[in-house]
Amino acid sequence: MRVLLVEDDRMIAQGLQTALRQDGYTVDWMGDGRSAAAALHASRFDLVLLDLGLPERDGLEVLRELRRRGDATPVIILTARDDMEDRIQGLDAGADDYIVKPFDLDEVGARMRSVLRRANGRGDPCIRVGGICLNPATRVVERDGAPVALSAHEYAVLEALLQRPGAILSRTQLEDRLYGWGAQVESNAIEVYIHSLRRKLGSEAIRTQRGVGYFVPKE
Amino acid sequence: MTSIRARLLIALLSLVACASLLAGALTYRRVLAETSTLFDYQLRQMALSLRSQVSLAPRIELPPDQGDAEFVIQIWDLFGARVYLSRPGLPMINRAVLGYDNETLQGEVWRVYGLQTVDGVIQIAQPLRVRAALARTAALRVVIPLLLLLPLLGAAIAWVVRGSLMPLQRVAAEVQRRDAHSLAPIATVPMPLEIAPLIDALNRLLLRLQAAFATQQAFVADAAHELRSPLTAVRLQLQLLDRAPDQAARFQARAALGAAVERAIHLVEQLLTLARNEPRASDAELALVALDTCAADAIGDCHALAVARGIELSLDAQPGIMIHGDPDALRALVRNLVDNAVRYTPRGGAVRVRCSSTAEAALLEIIDSGPGIPAAERERAFDRFYRRASAPEEGSGLGLAIVKAIAERHGARVSLADAAGGGLHVSVNFPRRS
Repeated sequence: MRVLLVEDDRMIAQGLQTALRQDGYTVDWMGDGRSAAAALHASRFDLVLLDLGLPERDGLEVLRELRRRGDATPVIILTARDDMEDRIQGLDAGADDYIVKPFDLDEVGARMRSVLRRANGRGDPCIRVGGICLNPATRVVERDGAPVALSAHEYAVLEALLQRPGAILSRTQLEDRLYGWGAQVESNAIEVYIHSLRRKLGSEAIRTQRGVGYFVPKE
Repeated sequence: MTSIRARLLIALLSLVACASLLAGALTYRRVLAETSTLFDYQLRQMALSLRSQVSLAPRIELPPDQGDAEFVIQIWDLFGARVYLSRPGLPMINRAVLGYDNETLQGEVWRVYGLQTVDGVIQIAQPLRVRAALARTAALRVVIPLLLLLPLLGAAIAWVVRGSLMPLQRVAAEVQRRDAHSLAPIATVPMPLEIAPLIDALNRLLLRLQAAFATQQAFVADAAHELRSPLTAVRLQLQLLDRAPDQAARFQARAALGAAVERAIHLVEQLLTLARNEPRASDAELALVALDTCAADAIGDCHALAVARGIELSLDAQPGIMIHGDPDALRALVRNLVDNAVRYTPRGGAVRVRCSSTAEAALLEIIDSGPGIPAAERERAFDRFYRRASAPEEGSGLGLAIVKAIAERHGARVSLADAAGGGLHVSVNFPRRS
């Protein structure tokens, strides 16, 4: 799950990155509005945490531009502006949620999950496909009711594939979800994770579309 | 408390009373003078008419006068024997005087006129009391109506004064309605010439108050908003500390928490410094302060930071430059400027502090080898919570606002310019008091 964090306050940004990484998110951080807009142009993110009072370009402007392009990437505004007007303006500009600083980390986590759930058209907090059930809040994966122990990377690959059952994700797309910019990626890392996931969840749990990528079959 | 109404009432009524008494006194004197002339003339006329009678019938017995004692007539013959006394019962002057004279007899003053005739002397006397009584009556006739009018005058004055003071009461009621939330100017409906300046002054005061309240509210709002960031960082790190999976993460979170708390403390301290140096916020006595000592103290405060950042910090001060100031505030001024310079200057750079003095002013300069501030941003750089986009780290955004506030309190001028070798050159000019 790849998150773009746009926050100009270094201290808050560093703390949030640590927390999000602990939750298994891949985080890229941008400290100003202009580079945030550029990053949103260049890469696909599963979620954007957006501060409003940014240097160079205001967060709202970045958000509006994103929506004008037809980009539906979920955006949660994280800001110190707590006026009712600001909240309304933020949500109407296309934000999926609005959180006021100082925020609670657990609440931010829950809201992120909720926004992601709705973005993928689900109501059930757990993702259930076939006999597999993945709970993003507890990060517990079960196969036919029995818990399965997964590494952080295995979990991330499975979560990405389970988000949209039937949709094929290429190796590069999966790598993008797993690693932020500047991370060293082993060339066969994804194959290794897929192999180990099949071993734990059954060989039919993840299918390969030769030359294209991987997918989880729709029921 | 004095009442204008009571004062006017008492003053005006006393004036009217005094004026009527004065009028009475003047009338009395004038009437007295006039009656004296008149009666003197009358005395002479009586004497002259008696002379003709007496000379025609020298021995005719005149009947004794039975009337009041207004006139007493005596006639003496050539030998000095009294031949006639009009009021025999009365003690009388036994002396013949020619012409006008005043005689005192048994405590009573008489006006006497004596006339020499062929047969002797005719003398007519009249008590002065009669004249005084006439004058008194005339005077009272003037004074009494005036005194009777006094209560009526008082009521009229009270009515006029009340009407005149009405606008003042209206203004008082208007002012009473004002509080911190409604400082609207008082309507300048046509007001008496004497009250208009009061309203003008009040309205100017209200406008100043309004501005001051607005500034204060903006400041509090800004402060609350700005405190959110460091507090968010504190809360975040605290939660990270709670959920740290291992010792290393815990150690890191604790260090970050410490930094976040320090940042919050720093912001609060800067806010306090700014609040203390707001215009007229403090009435601390300004004392004579040595500028070079202040600069040296402030440099001492920033020394550790400069060493940590590899910045060469130097002071070039003319000793004994004395200025009128608040030593703590001046130290904060220099500290903020040096702190800014040290933070914005890249590693290996230099920050120089100079104190110099001329006949007109004491000059404090801080020159760094950092990136400087573009001319277009220099004005805004003094706004509170203004941070440049390229700020190297989270500052309070208050440094230059504090510097400006302190400088203004000391009547000093702060200016930003390019340093000779690039970087920022801050000058604080303290004019000498004449």
